[in-house]
Amino acid sequence: MKTRLAILILVVLLALLPAYAGKYALYVAIHILLLSIFSLGFNLLFGYTGLLSFGQAGFYAVGAYGCAKILLTYPSLLVGIVGGVVIAGAVSLLLGFLCIRHTRIYFSMLTLSFGMMIFSLAWKWRDMTGGDDGLVGIPRAPLEIPGLFKINMAPMENYYYVVLAFAILAIYLFHRIVHSPMGLAMQGIRDSETRTACIGISVRKYRLLSFTIAGVYAGLAGALLPPLESTVTPPLAHWSHSAEPVLATLLGGVYSFSGPIVGSVLFYLLKDIIVRFTEYWQMCLGIIVVVLVIGFRGGVVSIFSRKGGRR
Amino acid sequence: MNAILRTESLGKYFGHMAAVHEVNLTLQEGLFTSVIGPNGAGKTTLINLLSGYMLPDRGKIYFREKEITRLGPDKRVKMGISRSFQVMNIFPRMTVFQNILLPVLSRLNKTSSAFSSQQSQKEAVGEAEKILGEVWLQEEKDSPGGELSHGDQRLLELGIAVATNPQLCFLDEPSSGMNPIERIKVLELVKKLASERKTTFIIVEHDMDIVFSLSDWIVVMNRGEVLAEGKPGDIRENQVVRDIYLGEEI
Repeated sequence: MKTRLAILILVVLLALLPAYAGKYALYVAIHILLLSIFSLGFNLLFGYTGLLSFGQAGFYAVGAYGCAKILLTYPSLLVGIVGGVVIAGAVSLLLGFLCIRHTRIYFSMLTLSFGMMIFSLAWKWRDMTGGDDGLVGIPRAPLEIPGLFKINMAPMENYYYVVLAFAILAIYLFHRIVHSPMGLAMQGIRDSETRTACIGISVRKYRLLSFTIAGVYAGLAGALLPPLESTVTPPLAHWSHSAEPVLATLLGGVYSFSGPIVGSVLFYLLKDIIVRFTEYWQMCLGIIVVVLVIGFRGGVVSIFSRKGGRR
Repeated sequence: MNAILRTESLGKYFGHMAAVHEVNLTLQEGLFTSVIGPNGAGKTTLINLLSGYMLPDRGKIYFREKEITRLGPDKRVKMGISRSFQVMNIFPRMTVFQNILLPVLSRLNKTSSAFSSQQSQKEAVGEAEKILGEVWLQEEKDSPGGELSHGDQRLLELGIAVATNPQLCFLDEPSSGMNPIERIKVLELVKKLASERKTTFIIVEHDMDIVFSLSDWIVVMNRGEVLAEGKPGDIRENQVVRDIYLGEEI
C-alpha cells in the first residue's frame, strides 16, 4: 500500500513538473526518462536473465535512426516512434538469434561486435544515415490520429508528456513481465541454465525473448530522442553509449525492479552536475561510480531495502 | 513389468577415455533402481546421457520404446524424464516457493505467459504448495533457496525434480553431504514419493546400507561398463562385484 502511494505521488509530481520547472529541467527529465527505459530493458537481460550485453546502444541507434527517417518523410510523431521501435525490435530479434547461442564473455563480445557493426553502418552508410553528419532537421511532428485528434508538439511541455506517458507504459509493462511466469523463467535461466533446461524450459527461447524485449526497450528510448534533439548522429550506437545503462543499473541495483530507474536518475544528475565544473568529468564520474558500486554492492536501492547494501 | 527406458550400445568418450562404453540397460517401470560403483565408474555420465544433459557419441536411448537419443533435456522433461544433480543445482536467488512453482508452471505450459502474475496461476500455485509440503519445506517458502541449509537445499532439489511430475526421475547422490540420519530420512522420502506419485526413481548412491535396504534392483558400473545388475541379494552374493567394489563386509 505504501509503495503504491509513493508511486502515485511520484507520478503526480512528474505530471506537474512543467508547472514548476523550467525548460532545462524538462529537458533533463526527458533524458532521465529515456535512460530509465534504456536501462530497464538492459536489466531484463542482465539482472533477470543473466546476460551482460555491451551492444544495447546499437538497438538504441536503430530506434533513433528509424524514427528520424520516418519523421523526415512522414511527419507523424506516433508513426515515427512506433516505426522506430518496430525496426529496433526486428533487428534485435535477428541479431538475438545469433547472440543467444552463447553465454558469458562470448555473449558479451558478440553483442559488443554487433553494436559496433551498427555504429560502422551509421558512420559509413552516408545515403541512409547521413554519415558522420548524421540526420538533421528532424521535426517534432504533431501527435495525431487522423480524424480523432492532433496535438502540437512544438512546446517542450507537450513532448515531455508524451515521453512521460511512454515511460510509464514501459515501466508498467516491465513490472508485469518480470512478475509473470515468463519473468520467472528468465530468472531461472539467470540462476541456473542447466536446472532450467532440466525442468522442461527451452533456455534459448527465453533468452531470445529477453534479448528482443531489451532491444525493443532500447529502440523505444532511441525513438523518443530525435524529436527532442532534432538530430541523430553515429555516437548513439557507440559502445561507450552502451555503457550508460550498465553503469546506471549497477549504481541503482541489478537485482531490484527500481534499481535501473534510480540509477538512471543518479547517473544523469551526477554527469550533469560534474560536467559544469571540470573537463575531467568522466574521471570524476568514474571515481564516484566505483565508490558507490564498491560501497553498495546491491546498488543504491539496497540501502532502503531490508537486506542492506553490503550483501 | 514394462521397460520404461532402454539403451543400446550406449557410449560416451572423452579422448581415449571411455566414460560410458557399450551400455545395454533396461530400466523397469516401478522398480526402485540404484546405480552403484566406484568413483569414476561412469554413473554420473550415464545419468547425464539418459537425461539429455549430454549427448552420446554412440548408441541409442529409448523411452517407452520411443527413440530420444538426440533430444535435449527440456524435451525429455516434457516426455516425463526428470533429474537432480550431484552438485547442488537449485535457483539460489529465487524463493523456495518460486523454485517449485517454476517447474510446475513449465509442466502446465504456462511459462510463456508474459503479463499475468505468478500468483494468478491458481492451479500451479496450489500444486507448488502441495509439493512444498511433501518435501517438508512449507515453513521456508519465502526464504531464498540459496540461504537454506545444505540438507534443506537437497530437499528443495528433490522437490524441483518431482515438480514436473515425471514418470522417470534420476537422482544423482540425493543425500550427499548429509549425516546418516538425514540420509535415511531423505531416501525414505524418495521411496514414499515413488509410491505416491507412481514415479520410477533411479538413484546414484554411495551408502551401501541404504542402497541394499531400499532398492528393488541394482546396477553396478565399473570403468564405464555395466559390471552386473540384479536384485540386492544377487548383487550381494556376486563375487566379482564384491572383489571390485563392495568388499567382503557387505
